[in-house]
Amino acid sequence: MSRYEPAESEELAAFRAEVKAWIATNQPPKPSFKLPLSFLEVESEEQFRYLRAWQRKVYEAGYLGFDVPKEYGGQGVSLDKHRVVAQELARARAPFMVNLIALQWAGPTILAFGTEEQKQRFLPGILSADDIWCQGFSEPGSGSDLASLRAVAVPSEDGYRVTGHKVWTTLAHFAKFMILMARTDPAAGKYAGISYFLFPMDTPGVTIQPLVKMSGEGGFNQVIFDEAPMPKDALLGAEGEGWNIAMATLMFERGAGEGVGRERAAGFVERAGALAALAASTTRDGRPVSEDPVFRDRAVQAWIEAQAMALAAARSEAPALNAERPMALPLMNKLVMSEWAQRLAELGCEVLGPEAALWVGDPHAPDDGDWPRAFMNSFGMTIGGGTSEILRNIIGERVLGLPKSK
Amino acid sequence: MQDVTSLIPPVPHAFGFTTEHALTRQQARRFLEENSPREHARALHDDRLGYDPALYRRVLELGWLGLTLPESYGGAGLDHLHLMLLWEELGRALTPSPLFGALLATHAISLSRHEAHRGRWLPEALSGELIPTFAFGEPKGAWGPRQVSCRAEPKDGAWQLTGVKAHVPFGASATLAVVPAVDHRGEVGLFVLDLPSAGVEREPELSVDSTRRSARLVLSRARVPHDRRLQGDGARIFTQVCTLGYAVLAAEMVGAGEQVLELTRSYATTREQFGRAIGSFQAVKHPIVNMLCQLELARSLSLGAGAALSDSRLIDQPEVAERAARMAKAYGEQMLSHAVQKGVQLHGGFGFTWECDVQLYFKRMLWTRATLGDATHHKAALAAALFA
Repeated sequence: MSRYEPAESEELAAFRAEVKAWIATNQPPKPSFKLPLSFLEVESEEQFRYLRAWQRKVYEAGYLGFDVPKEYGGQGVSLDKHRVVAQELARARAPFMVNLIALQWAGPTILAFGTEEQKQRFLPGILSADDIWCQGFSEPGSGSDLASLRAVAVPSEDGYRVTGHKVWTTLAHFAKFMILMARTDPAAGKYAGISYFLFPMDTPGVTIQPLVKMSGEGGFNQVIFDEAPMPKDALLGAEGEGWNIAMATLMFERGAGEGVGRERAAGFVERAGALAALAASTTRDGRPVSEDPVFRDRAVQAWIEAQAMALAAARSEAPALNAERPMALPLMNKLVMSEWAQRLAELGCEVLGPEAALWVGDPHAPDDGDWPRAFMNSFGMTIGGGTSEILRNIIGERVLGLPKSK
Repeated sequence: MQDVTSLIPPVPHAFGFTTEHALTRQQARRFLEENSPREHARALHDDRLGYDPALYRRVLELGWLGLTLPESYGGAGLDHLHLMLLWEELGRALTPSPLFGALLATHAISLSRHEAHRGRWLPEALSGELIPTFAFGEPKGAWGPRQVSCRAEPKDGAWQLTGVKAHVPFGASATLAVVPAVDHRGEVGLFVLDLPSAGVEREPELSVDSTRRSARLVLSRARVPHDRRLQGDGARIFTQVCTLGYAVLAAEMVGAGEQVLELTRSYATTREQFGRAIGSFQAVKHPIVNMLCQLELARSLSLGAGAALSDSRLIDQPEVAERAARMAKAYGEQMLSHAVQKGVQLHGGFGFTWECDVQLYFKRMLWTRATLGDATHHKAALAAALFA
């Protein structure tokens, strides 16, 4: 019987050891203040400064940007190294990259659709975290029906003037740029009139108002534009191409980017392990929760599904394995991952029993109340970037060819 | 409490998938589409034997039984990813054949330390000269190496087997059975029993899935010559046979799920009510998408189990591949159970008729869940590793 050789080359194994050692030495100590659980909840200046410094440090050490060519400030493309770094950061439970919207959504979009000048101008600042990005897609009246958006970019002498109202704008309060969808031709069709901009936030006519999440945390905002000026070269692609470019951004956002599924999945098996550890160290009716057959069953279910997601991400690297339905895995990623994370967070709360009633800040709250906090915040992922319901429509129609839901 | 990442197989890069693997899948699919359409499974519903011997011979000629066995015994010497891809196609086609029992039996024989065992029975099984099966089960839900009640007593230079084996795949027509029994020292041995044989009563069972026949073997001092006990740790070989069984059943369920998804997708696209295709209703569309998502995760686990079975790093850790195979079987069952229930439901009145093909897969799901441990069983075993 033939057998596989070890999958990781010596070079890659050496790189992994190097990254691991670097993280061990350089991972910042836990701060005195509470850190957000994800990039969606970065609220205070001190949280932001801490996280930005960490991303910059990882970048300067040469470990960030293995998906960006060298001429744009990246490390040169190596998806293997990209994955190794993601895995080791997840294993070390290192802080997340604060500029995630730019790294995973805006950056790849600019790389795909930007001019040479735009790529050179924007990509280095994304990696170094000098330029934080936010996303201006949703509006109060345009959520799942995104193409009904009403923000307009009216041509002016030196570019455009933007008027409109964007909402759920994560990181807007720290952002230097926004990927913005706005209507340039109100007379054109619903889709054809939309253009895509790289909007500089430090401009008059922009008002940022924080919104408060159900957990009490901030991190997202509404942004109101009142004839805000925008230079001509903020346009990405051509006028009227905005819808198509935005669909590409949403694909990246939903984890369809190369290696992104793998990067996210790398953390999931770890999280299933963390849940098991929690069950082993928590008592219920005087015994460890991990001895309760019902919880054991549910913890193993989460473990199996985490492993399935990690394997699915590995499958994405072998296109021939998915030739019959190439879009299934990329389009599924966000849906299955966000719903899994939600179930895991709820299960964590259930493991805690009476202690799950204690909120962040209570001295007796296990993990400082992060399990109920994570459960609440998990809805940011099942709603943001296309709700689970919309994603099921998209997958049904685009992958399975089911008739459109009208 | 274990470090969770040390418990599971490392994910191989791109699964080591090559054009050869693609060829295996393509050849299997083409052959089965031509020779084993679903009407074939239906036509054999009332057949006494339950499979077409001519088709089985052709399957053997294609090398499907010996896919992973060494070339020196007539096998193809391929890795287990090939096996997963092949069994996915067999699951899709619902091909009735004694291949499953034969695969387990030949795997057991291939693990015997005695060269004469391998050299004799493997070529005979691969050529179809004999049709082997593996008696993993006993009455009242007993199966596997830790629940063997059947006894093997030494008598006059031979073994005498006494006990009842249940759910033996194609046990009524097989010509050889590998039979686990506990010897006078309390050790599990694997005994190679000719069929028919004196002291062996064969009682056909009525299987819920007509494509998967089974029988009881009632053994009353059935004589097995001394040199027909497989050499090596019988319980360990039995465990490894089960691991392979979990993996191929998981792959089969993926193929079955794929076909149920296609039947349901296609029906929802063409069936109209209220003036529109029912697949345009989200109450119909979303469960079909859930079928797809679960199917792709089940397929990932199945391929992962195949990769783990052939991973050179895991040769001395069969328990790692065993865990991967348990995960695949447990999740595969959950996926297929959901798929067939939604499949029947979304076909409406037609869905629960004999005519609708989803029923064939419904029955296969029930049979597969019942065979070699259901999801609850495997999750309990995995929990023992996770919380060790």
